[in-house]
Order: sequence, then C-alpha cells, then structure tokens
Amino acid sequence: MILIAPYAQKLRNGKQNPKNYPYKSWTELIGLIQKPIIQVGLEGENKLVNDCRFNLSIQELKNLIQECDTWISVDSMFQHLAWSCNKKGIVLFSQSNPDIFGHKENTNLLKDKIYLRHNQFLWWEDTPYNSDAFVDPQEIIKYL
Amino acid sequence: MPNVLCSVATRGRYFTTLPMVLNAIANQTRLPDKLIIFDDNDEPQDMRNEFIYQHLFSIFDNKKISWEWQFAEKKGQHYIHQRANTMGFDWVWRVDDDAIPELNVLENLLKFANDKIGAVGGSILTDPLPNTKSSTGLISNINKEPNIQWNYIYKPKSIEHLHCSFLYRAGVYDFNLGLSRVAHREETLFTYGLLKKGYKLLVIPMANTWHFKNPEGGIRSETKKEMFDHDEKIYQNFMQYKDNTIVVLNCGMGDHIVFNKVLQDIKNPIVFTCYPEIVKGKSIAEAQALFGDIDQWNIYKKMDFWHWTDSLENAFRKMYL
Repeated sequence: MILIAPYAQKLRNGKQNPKNYPYKSWTELIGLIQKPIIQVGLEGENKLVNDCRFNLSIQELKNLIQECDTWISVDSMFQHLAWSCNKKGIVLFSQSNPDIFGHKENTNLLKDKIYLRHNQFLWWEDTPYNSDAFVDPQEIIKYL
Repeated sequence: MPNVLCSVATRGRYFTTLPMVLNAIANQTRLPDKLIIFDDNDEPQDMRNEFIYQHLFSIFDNKKISWEWQFAEKKGQHYIHQRANTMGFDWVWRVDDDAIPELNVLENLLKFANDKIGAVGGSILTDPLPNTKSSTGLISNINKEPNIQWNYIYKPKSIEHLHCSFLYRAGVYDFNLGLSRVAHREETLFTYGLLKKGYKLLVIPMANTWHFKNPEGGIRSETKKEMFDHDEKIYQNFMQYKDNTIVVLNCGMGDHIVFNKVLQDIKNPIVFTCYPEIVKGKSIAEAQALFGDIDQWNIYKKMDFWHWTDSLENAFRKMYL
C-alpha cells in the first residue's frame, strides 16, 4: 500500500498553496501506480482516490505510515512525520528548498533550483503558485 | 580587525550631554567603523542647523568616521539596540547619551573582544563612587550590591550582567522587544542572555566612562510606574527560568516534529508549544505573558537573519544548543 499526502496547509488568503502538486499531475501519477493507494489529509480536500482517510490523529497517521510500503507527499507536515517514523518516501518539492526543509533519508524531487523562491522563510501567502515548478509524474514513478 | 558599530541612542539631550558624548567618540584612540546616532526624541530636530553639531559632523568627516543620524521608532531604546544588533557588524559599542567615555575606552574594550566573549564593559562612574569592593557581578546579587561598574575596576573579572555602556557581540542574542518604552532591565536581560548563549561577560580596567546622570531627559525619561513594574515582571520571569533553556515553538506542526530530534540534546529545557501532542509543554500564550516578546524564538525569522542554507534541524540546534 502506498500513502499519498497531496496537500499542504491551506493558506489564510484562500489561494492555492504553492507547495501543492497540480491536481492533473496527481491524477496522472495515480494512474501510473500499480498498488493500492490511501490518501491522507484534511476534510474538504480534493479526493484523488477512493480510500481517503481524513482528519486522522497523529497516532493514527503514524500507524498508517508503519503499515505502508512507502509514501508520496508534498512538502508538508506529513513528510516530517514519516521521517520521524523512519519510513522512507518521496517528497515533491517546488519552490521550497529541500536542503533546508527536506530530509536526506527521503527522495526529495526538485525540478530545478531556478524555481526556488528567493526568500525561503516568508509567508507562503506572498508566493505565487507555479505549476511548472514540479517534476512530471513519469519522473516520479522512476523513484517509486 | 573586527568591524565595530558605535550606537548612540538619544532622547531629550540635544543640548546637554549628547554633544559631549559625540565629541568623546570622535576622539577615541580606536575609532569605530561606523557611528549611528538613533534619535528617539518626541519632536526630532535637524541638528545640521546647530553650529556645535556642524562642527562635530565636520570632525567626523575629517577623521573619516562613517556616520548616520537615524530617526528611531519612539518605542524605547531596546528597539534601537535591536536595530543596531542586527545591522551586520561584528561588535556594537553602545554608548548612552549621558555617558562620556574616556578616550581609550573602545581601544581597551576591543583588546578583550575574542571568540569567547559576549560583552565587555568598563567602569561607569558618577561621583560619589560607591564601595564596590565586595560586589560580585552575579545576577543573583543584582538587588543586593552596588553594580561592580560603579567604581574603578582594577583587574578583568567575569561577571553575569552589564550596565549602561559596553561593547557586545552582535547578532547572537536579541534585545527583548516586549519591554515597555522605559526598557527597564533591557541591558541586564540582554547581557545575561549572551552569557546563557555560552559567552563570557567581562568588566575590565582602563575603560572609564563618566555617567552624567541628569534627572531630566534621557532615553528612559518615562515616569509611569506601571511601565517599570511591567518590565520588572518580565525580568523576574526570566530569572525564574534562569537555570533552564527556554524553548518557544511558535511555528508549524512539521517544525515541531523536526524539533523533537533536537530536544533530547537541550540542557534542562522548559518548552512552550503550539502542538503539545507532538512536543509536550506549556502554551504559547503563557510564554507571551511571561516573557513579553517571543519573536526572539521565531525560527523562521532567525533563519532569514542567518541567511540559512542548512537544514531546519540544524537551525534549531544553532538556536538552542
């Protein structure tokens, strides 16, 4: 089983979080995965698979992480939680720097450093969304 | 050669002691690399129109002392010092606007400014000089003894807090911006914070500053008792936790998870947390109430200031270890 955590925290201005992997790319990626997938996140997020587990407690998430073969996440709390459980996975970076916010134990996929935002430490509300900043699904599947 | 900013915070002393202070700075045997006068007056004036200042400014220019006159935020001298603290200099020599340094003060302070030192100060003298022979300079004795800097210092001595004017290592510890405009205890909290960061504080001989105490004017010229009480309470709260490492996690859930890896290495931590289910501790509201300002523990602000390129985990290590 593969866990996916497709969404980073919602922004206070209601805009798309620049860390979120594009919806179309997720659907393409999911179509390429040959294993059962469970999506985790928060109620109200777009459902990408049939088996969605929303609003789980930290302990419930940890239990699922222990059960999964691996996981794919955007740069969100989930990647840190899985790292703390010593479960390796894939993190889809875009404008945040994996050298700062990633963990070397994981596969941190960054399309190109040119997409990194100039100041890594400002509010995400100030950063425009850029769907070009992410790696393609075909690239991700090579690491799965 | 270390890069030294001389910072003078002033209020209400345009025509009394400030010109004397500036003259003393201009005549130092080791000149600062930059002088900034932070003008915190309620009604700031353009001193370029005053003949004494015209001469002082021309001395600065002739001696090639880079100088600026900056208008401050009128929030108190702690805001000014924090601005100076984060300007990118190695050391800041803070000189009060009524404290006239003898001509060798900066040169002698700098002789002790090595890698292990957080701050170094000399004597701050106002006649009659109290007897400080038994003064220890320990923070626990701050209310029980005359400050060791209030008389001549005959040999270098490690102490736990400094007063008034001194040379400090910049960018290591923040001034507490939660204090009121009077900023009572600001230098005590600041220098003790440098000590807790692992740096030594020293008082040294041959660095005498004459403190022209004047009941009028000055950077602390507020008289509201509640401001002093407010600041004293914050100071006492810090002292309550003086044997702890205060940890304030006012950040995201993922940051808390990363921090957990660092927690085990922190000496005697007292933790304030947003997510007690991830990192156990007291509430952020309690930290705010106790310490006035919690921005000094903002890991993102720190990483920005440090131009950080290493991992978040190592940023927490730099902050707390």
